[in-house]
Amino acid sequence: MNNNTSLKSSSREKDNILLRIYRNPYFRYIIFGAILALIPIASGMNILPSSYITIMGSVMIYSIVGIGLNLLLGYSGLISLGTAGFMGLAAYVTGYLSVNVNAPFIVALAVSIFVVVLIGVIVGFVSLRVAGIYLAIATLCVSEILRKTFEELEWLTNGFSGLNASFPRLFGIQLNRKSTYFLIVVVLILVMMLTHNLVKGQMGRALHAMRESEVAAQAMGVNLLKYRLVVFAIATAYAAIGGALYIFFIRFSIPGTWTMALSLNILGAVVIGGLRSIYGTVIGCFVIFAIPDIVLKPLFGDVNGLQYVFSGLVVILVILFYPAGVKNMREDFFRLCRFLKKKINERKGKGEIQ
Amino acid sequence: MNGFAILLQIILRSLETGGIYALASLGIIIIFRTSRISHFAQGAMGMFNTYVAAVLVDRMGLPLGIGVIVAVCLAVFIGFLVDFLVIRRAKNAIPVTKQILTLGLVTIFVGLAPMVCGVDPLSLPKFIPTGNISVAGASLSYNGLLNILIGIIIMLVLFYTLLKTKLGIAIRTTASNEPVARLMGVPTRNVTLFAWAVAAVLGCLAGIMQAPSTSVTTGVLDTVQINALIACVLGGFQTFYGPVIGSYIIALSSNLLNYYVSSVWGNQLVYLCILIFVVFRPQGIVGKKVVKKV
Repeated sequence: MNNNTSLKSSSREKDNILLRIYRNPYFRYIIFGAILALIPIASGMNILPSSYITIMGSVMIYSIVGIGLNLLLGYSGLISLGTAGFMGLAAYVTGYLSVNVNAPFIVALAVSIFVVVLIGVIVGFVSLRVAGIYLAIATLCVSEILRKTFEELEWLTNGFSGLNASFPRLFGIQLNRKSTYFLIVVVLILVMMLTHNLVKGQMGRALHAMRESEVAAQAMGVNLLKYRLVVFAIATAYAAIGGALYIFFIRFSIPGTWTMALSLNILGAVVIGGLRSIYGTVIGCFVIFAIPDIVLKPLFGDVNGLQYVFSGLVVILVILFYPAGVKNMREDFFRLCRFLKKKINERKGKGEIQ
Repeated sequence: MNGFAILLQIILRSLETGGIYALASLGIIIIFRTSRISHFAQGAMGMFNTYVAAVLVDRMGLPLGIGVIVAVCLAVFIGFLVDFLVIRRAKNAIPVTKQILTLGLVTIFVGLAPMVCGVDPLSLPKFIPTGNISVAGASLSYNGLLNILIGIIIMLVLFYTLLKTKLGIAIRTTASNEPVARLMGVPTRNVTLFAWAVAAVLGCLAGIMQAPSTSVTTGVLDTVQINALIACVLGGFQTFYGPVIGSYIIALSSNLLNYYVSSVWGNQLVYLCILIFVVFRPQGIVGKKVVKKV
C-alpha cells in the first residue's frame, strides 16, 4: 500500500518534470527549430520537393524581420514602411563585404547590422519625437532614398544587373544550401529567444505600460522616446540580420526586390500572425510567403498577381473578422470544442426528458 | 535657351507634375479627414482604373474620351465598394491594424490589375497628341497646358464644393468631429461613401494624366503615391489646401534640384530636406499643432 503511493507520487513528480520541461519556453523554441530543421532532411529522403528548402528558408528570413516589426507595431503602435530598404541595405553591404573584400561571415554580418542600425537610429531619433503616422512616412522616405541609391550606386550594388554572392563560409567551412538553411534555423531560434527575453524583462514591462497609456507610462517615469528608439533600433537590427541572411541564402539581389511591396507583405504577415506574438509572426510569414508557392500555384497554375490578391485579401479579412490574429486560433479552437460539447450535452439532456 | 527660359520651362513642367501630385494628395487628405485612415492605396486604386482605361483604349481601340469616362465611372464604383465592403466594417478593428487595411488594399489592386488586364505593358495616348506653345522662350505642349488647367479646375470645383455647398459643410463637419456631426444629423456614412468615391476619381485622373509620360504598368503611380503622401505631411494633415501647396513645392523643388544640382541625387535630396523640415515643424506648413489631451 505504502509502496504503491510512493510509486504514484514519484511518477507524478516525473510527470511534473516532463511537464515543466514542456512548459519551458526555451525548450519549446528548440523543438520548433528542430521541426523546421526536418524539412531539408525530408526533402533529402524525397518526401518533400527540394524547392521547399528555399521557400522555407525565405519564410524564416522574413520571420526574423517580421518579429522585429511586430515588436515595433505591437508595443509602440508605430508602423515602419522602411523594412525593405533596411533589409536591402544590409544585403548589399554584406554581399559587397563578402564578395569584394572577402570578409568572413560574422564580420560582414556585424558591419551590416552596425551600418543599418546607425541609419535607423538617426531616422528614428528624427521622426520618433512626432507621434502618429510620421514614422511611417519618414521610413517611407528613407526606403525610397535607399531604393534609388541602390539603382545608382553601382560600385556597391552593381545597379540593375544585380549583385551575386555565394553561400557563407563559417569558421573555415564552406556551407551549401542545406547547411545555410540550418544556420538560418539557428539564427531564427536565437532571435525568438532573445525577443522572448526582451519582452519578458524590464523593457517589456515598460513597453506594456506604454501600450496601455503613453501618458500614464510617462508619469511612471518611462522615457517614451528612449523606448521607442530602442524598439525601432531592434526592428532595424532584425531587418539587417534578415537582409544579410537573404544575400547568403538566395545569393542574388536586385534593387527591384527591396520595394514597398516587400515591406507591405511583411507587415501583412505580422498582422495575420497577431500583434505581440512570436510564433504568430512565423505562421503569418508562412501564410504570406509560402502558401502562394506551395498551395496556390499547384492548385490554380501560374495566374498573374494571384499571390498579391491572396495576401491582400487575407490581411483585410483577418483585420476585419479576426483582429487578434492566428495566435488566438488555439484558444478559439478549444473554446469551439467546449461550445460544441455543451451543445451536444444539451441535446442529450433534452432527449432524455422527452 | 537662356537661363530664364530654362527656369520658366522647369516651373511650367513642375506645375504639370505638381497638379498630378495635388490631385492624388487631395484624395488622401479627404479620406484622412473623413475616415481617419491614412490612405496608402490611393495610387494603387488609381493605377487599377488607369489600367482599365488603357485596356479600353490601347487594346480595344476605343477613343480616349470613352476610356476616360468608363474609368471614372469605375473609379466611383470602386470607391463605393471599398468603403461599403471594407472601411465601414472596420469600426471595431484595433486602431493600429486599421491603418494597415489600406496597405492590404494596395496588394489586392496591384495583384488584380495584371490578373484582369494582362501583364503586357500598355500605353495611354495624350489628349492632344502634338503641338507646342512657347511662353517667353520656354515651350509647353498643349497637352501639358491642358493637364495644368484640368488640375486647377478640378481643385477649384472641389474647394468651391467644400467651402460653399451643403455637401461641403457636411464633409467639413464630419472631418472636424465625426460623432458630433452624426448627432447633429449629418449623414456621416454617406459623406464617407462620397469621400471614397471622390478620392478614387482623383486618383484615377492623376493616373490618366501621368500615364502618357510612361507606360502603364502596376508601378505607374508609385512615385505619385509616395510624393502625394509626403505632400500631405509637408502641407499638414489639418487643412484641405495644405497638401496642394505641399504637392507643388515637392514638384518644383525636385525639378529644380534635378536640373541645377544633380540628376541622380536630386530626388533623394528633396526627401531628405522634407525629413529635416518635419522635425522642426511636425504639423506641416499650414497645419495647426494638435495638443494631445489625457
